[in-house]
Amino acid sequence: MNSYNFIFIALLAGVLAGLILAGVNYFVVEPYIDQAIGIEVDNSIAAGEPVNYEELNTYRIWQKDGTFAAGAFLGLSYGAILGIAYVISRKYIPSYDDRKKALILAAVMCLTLYVIPFIKYPANPPAVGDPETIGLRDTLYTSYQLTSGLITVGLSVLLIKMRSINNLKYLIPIIYLGLIAFIYAVFPSNPDSITAPMDLVNAFRTATFSTMVMFYLVMGGIFGLLWHRFKPHEPTRVEAR
Amino acid sequence: MSSQHGLRLIQKDQTPKLAIVVLAIVAILSIYIVGYDQGQLFSLAQGNDAYQSMWLHEFTHDIRHAAGFPCH
Repeated sequence: MNSYNFIFIALLAGVLAGLILAGVNYFVVEPYIDQAIGIEVDNSIAAGEPVNYEELNTYRIWQKDGTFAAGAFLGLSYGAILGIAYVISRKYIPSYDDRKKALILAAVMCLTLYVIPFIKYPANPPAVGDPETIGLRDTLYTSYQLTSGLITVGLSVLLIKMRSINNLKYLIPIIYLGLIAFIYAVFPSNPDSITAPMDLVNAFRTATFSTMVMFYLVMGGIFGLLWHRFKPHEPTRVEAR
Repeated sequence: MSSQHGLRLIQKDQTPKLAIVVLAIVAILSIYIVGYDQGQLFSLAQGNDAYQSMWLHEFTHDIRHAAGFPCH
């Protein structure tokens, strides 16, 4: 295994997918964020709070420009996770083609770390969320992501260890759905009420859901292409006397 | 393993543990920056002012919302 190539592939795939996500979001998601921030400003004015437009504009420029760097950081993170998961699970993923294997794993990762948490804690635009509850909401979201991840990893290990048992592959999805339903019921709901117009919230959720699913699939696609090209898994040949 | 002209060729194909550790550190640090920082990281250099300005938080603000993380 060529570790340098392996790290390079994982991080490059993540960064490229993150930059593509940021580029798409700039046109698809930013208009909703602008609208939501407009509502926040209106609410502040209605509440008699002072609004510093100069500071607000500075922040908005910083936030919009930062989207690309932040997209790259997001890609670094999920690219690294995809790389770790791929190098450990590669031999167990169906298909002989690394491009297909990477796409399958990225889709599973998307389901586990994004779609399942999204169903319980859907994304919200600015104007939704009480700053006082941010610690609790962070804890809930992270715990949900980790629990979803543990369920997927646990059942994958179970499937691999007990693959000789007939019909287990049909049973695993049922157990998976049962466990996901269980954590959905057990975890507390988002404590904040939605105070922004639901049309805006739903449009924001639809747009971000689409671009995030695209992000995972693009990342898997690039990762698979790079892996197929550089083949870091091929054994290192060491000469010894 | 094979032997030819006094040389032995050894095939080495182990799980790259060090590379996994490096990627895990990158993942944790990056996800913290994008998803969770509320001024803590810059407060190491900037002190309590960092919690007011939250430059890093604002820098990742839009992607944080778009990626589904709680923001504020």
